[in-house]
Amino acid sequence: MSFVPKKQAYNAQINAVTLGTGEKAITIGGQNVMPFYTFDAPIENAPKIGIEVSHSTASWTTPGLAELYAGCTTMAECAVKAATVPGVDFIALNFAAADPNGENRSTEDCVADAKAVAEATDLPLVVLGCKNLEKDGELLSKLAEALQGKNVLIMAAKNENYKTVGASVALAYGQKIGAETADDINLAKQLNIMLKGVGVAGENMVMDIGTAAVGYGYEYAASTFDRIRLAALAQGDADLKMPILAVASVDAWGVKEATATEEDEPAWGNQEERAIGMEISTATADLVGGADAIVLRHPAAIATIKQFITELV
Amino acid sequence: MALKGLDIFKLSPKKNCKECGSPTCMAFCMKVAQGAVSLDKCPYFSEEALATLNSATAPLMKTLTVGAHKLGGETVLYRHEKTLVNKNLFAVAIDTTMDEAAVDAKLADVAKVDYERIGERMYVEMIFVANKGTDAAAYAALVEKAKATGRALVLECWDVECAKAALAVAGKDCILDGATPENYKEMSAVATAAGVALGVWASNISDLYDTVKALEAAGNKNLVLDVTGANAKETLANAVNVRRTALKQEDRTFGYPSIVNLTKIAAGDARMQTALASMFVEKYASIIVMDGMSYAQALPLYGLRQNIFTDPQKPMKVEAKIYPINGADENSPCALTVDFALTYFLVSGELERSGQPINLIITDASGMSVLTAWAAGKLSSTTIKKTFDELDIANKIKNRTLVIPGKVAVMKGEIQEKLPEWDVVVGPLEAVQLPKYFKEKEYEAGVKAAQAERAAKSGTVQEEVKELSFEELLETRVPKIEIVDMGVQYKGHNPESKTFVTIGERIHCIAPSIRKAMDERDPAPILERAAAQIKAGATYLDVNIGPAEKDGPERMMWAVKLLQENFNNVPLALDTANMKAIEAGIKVYNRANGKPIVNSADAGSRIGYIDLAAANDAICIALCSADGIAKDNAEREMHCDNMLERGLSLGMTSDDLWFDPLFLVVKGMQDKQMEVLEAIKMFSDKGLKSTGGLSNNSNGAPKHVRPIMDATLVAMCMMQGLTSAIVNPNDLRLMETIKSCDIFKNHTLYSDSYLEL
Repeated sequence: MSFVPKKQAYNAQINAVTLGTGEKAITIGGQNVMPFYTFDAPIENAPKIGIEVSHSTASWTTPGLAELYAGCTTMAECAVKAATVPGVDFIALNFAAADPNGENRSTEDCVADAKAVAEATDLPLVVLGCKNLEKDGELLSKLAEALQGKNVLIMAAKNENYKTVGASVALAYGQKIGAETADDINLAKQLNIMLKGVGVAGENMVMDIGTAAVGYGYEYAASTFDRIRLAALAQGDADLKMPILAVASVDAWGVKEATATEEDEPAWGNQEERAIGMEISTATADLVGGADAIVLRHPAAIATIKQFITELV
Repeated sequence: MALKGLDIFKLSPKKNCKECGSPTCMAFCMKVAQGAVSLDKCPYFSEEALATLNSATAPLMKTLTVGAHKLGGETVLYRHEKTLVNKNLFAVAIDTTMDEAAVDAKLADVAKVDYERIGERMYVEMIFVANKGTDAAAYAALVEKAKATGRALVLECWDVECAKAALAVAGKDCILDGATPENYKEMSAVATAAGVALGVWASNISDLYDTVKALEAAGNKNLVLDVTGANAKETLANAVNVRRTALKQEDRTFGYPSIVNLTKIAAGDARMQTALASMFVEKYASIIVMDGMSYAQALPLYGLRQNIFTDPQKPMKVEAKIYPINGADENSPCALTVDFALTYFLVSGELERSGQPINLIITDASGMSVLTAWAAGKLSSTTIKKTFDELDIANKIKNRTLVIPGKVAVMKGEIQEKLPEWDVVVGPLEAVQLPKYFKEKEYEAGVKAAQAERAAKSGTVQEEVKELSFEELLETRVPKIEIVDMGVQYKGHNPESKTFVTIGERIHCIAPSIRKAMDERDPAPILERAAAQIKAGATYLDVNIGPAEKDGPERMMWAVKLLQENFNNVPLALDTANMKAIEAGIKVYNRANGKPIVNSADAGSRIGYIDLAAANDAICIALCSADGIAKDNAEREMHCDNMLERGLSLGMTSDDLWFDPLFLVVKGMQDKQMEVLEAIKMFSDKGLKSTGGLSNNSNGAPKHVRPIMDATLVAMCMMQGLTSAIVNPNDLRLMETIKSCDIFKNHTLYSDSYLEL
């Protein structure tokens, strides 16, 4: 062998964080190399795949999704179906319906939904809030309380509410907490420092650093991913070593490439296949950037991403 | 690639003969590394050493041209480090095992995906023609068919005779992907004879390396590396290692563009190919070969590629035109915003969500966001009027409702004047409020108000507007200046002094109180800010009167007279996008304490400000950027030289051009700060003066942190030779740091009370 590539493994490593309990528990993070760079050093834990379930899941009309969730009416029924999809490691419960500017589902009802899901499945759970700061302040805390002992990940504390959300979720109820920022590495670091400041251990934190659908300003997400991973590994920045969760599904299914019907855009062809393509491409870009856990919606996208991860790790 | 002195020394003759004029070879090599002397001053470097040194300064990765496309030429591994230069290309594969109908069908499918997205043509740029064991004539026929598509070709062919036949019909716009460790000599001869690039493949990266070395030794450096491995994992390893070896280990053997062939590692699986292609767009494939390209693949992949290969220092722009949303027609209301791509996506997304038919009018604003564009004079009633005229909007749309962004509510009057037939309505501040705004028809109240206003006006006779001379304006439009005792007087300034020149930035129209004071010609708020800055020791005061499209000249004349008459002819920097206003301001300007400063010219659309300064014997701030932030110091230096040359040719002295490197925000561009400091050194080494908006570095940082950042940066900058800065003089820490630096630089004589002076 005349040529031997120089390896680039780092002394620092991403924090390993375990979600869920029992046999189905998963661990994300732990690696000391850039994403999928197995030629530098083995990847400690392969990235994990979550399936998104929300209050609108039962009424999704995309054929592949409608078929999967046929007959389901409640969030728990959907979650049970979702758990059967091959390749799924965890369930991401999206409580968007709690948004006061939307459906405004009550905190009590959401708590009841979450409890029902927790009883119906043994997969680890990730909870996504409704993004309304005030409502999330109350909702995330109550959900963390209701799911005590399940070791769930609650998304997310933000710059504006980290004190209340961080303290209740991680300290009072012992859950894992997500820190959410939008494509801003300085803010991502600052929020982690502030969460540590209120007493949350870095090992109980996961980051959502912001993403976008591919084609929609994804360069900001891509560079934020690259810079955060390089800061954590090459500079050994302890305030950025948290594993990253990326919710690819919401962004990918929200853009025109996925929402335009075949009547709207006759040249573009099958709408479902386009949505799957957007979801696959967005998820791959997130994973290549450094996402340790990815949230998806369509079983076909999950199958492809599962195969992708398996082949590369 | 800059060479270090020690690297050159290693190759030097080490005889210390002093013939070059340097005392030792080591000293000579250090000077060569700095560019202070040329290497040929020493006659004793060996041929071999010279060749090594020359190749050491060549780019680490070659750029190849295939037809209209460029490949390779990258200088960094991650886009945030600088920028990625040449986007990867997509190829669709056909091969000799396919029957004619299948080939025709595939080529027809390729032609179907061809569209434009944000100014870029999205299509399959290349056809990959694989020879899977057929005779030369059959392969040549297939190549000919592919060539008829007009796309560039990649010919995968490991058989020399077939390759010759194929190249005879393929022409020059192709790559012969045919060299292996076994056949590279013959294939290289074939490719060289045909004048095309040669693709090299080996079953492992070590053999690939050896084969490239052998080809280079034989004189062929027109290469592409086919890094496709046995599976996805091995292919990623190859792609990353090849690129990293070239750019990080600086081993040019792997400094070539690469091919990744997904039809080999994910055959027949379109979704998996979408996933892998997404990865290889980011991870170093120059050409990605796929089985096909449907819209379900093209839409995400081309979108991702467009994002990743966007220059991080240049904003992404969409075309200025009418975008009908939700089936809008000529009777639908109009909403207007800027051409910054992210603004467009955000606003069009929210408008779609409203479900209402709306014509979104995108106006040219140099790819800036709404407020930035307004402040820079890139979004004004004039630019909007220009868009309306150029796009012929009045004839294309019958509805006369025009909703403008809430952030530029201040422009409503001026737009209404330029577009008198339209009902100009101020929309919401944020895009997320748009769905509700249009769904609930909140704009209708604004329309009624605009109509009522127009009805009221139509009764009155419009005054005929006549262009007045500066003297007439001064006579009739500029209020008399009252002298107010503000308890502080400007102490005077000696333009010959070497001490640091601070330009106080506090009189700026982006502050609502100043904007109002300028509009109403109310002296009090302006005098108050001026007094505070003068008291704090500002050398110059910047006067920003806003875009001031309508009444710029009289506004500026008033502001100049107000400040100079009240404060002992304090010298001023005149700051506005309205050139007439600057000219008018200079007409009434008193030079007792120094020339006026024109703020500012750049190397792009504002180059004319240098002419303005030259014609009026003023100092000119010259921003070293043209379209967005300069990508490196080579670009800054180029702009600097161009502007210097222009100024000198117009009779300016070099001291009257103050070069601005453009200070960058730490939050966001932390890794570019040292580059800015090096640019200042570059100006200083040329004997030029420099200035800039230094406090921009700490934008967005907490209040208590900003003075520390600003003071530290100013000290570092003064060490590099910065001669002036646009700053907030009320920042005591900053001003004390500047005074201290002036002591250390021996610009002013020390005394125990130097801080109080």
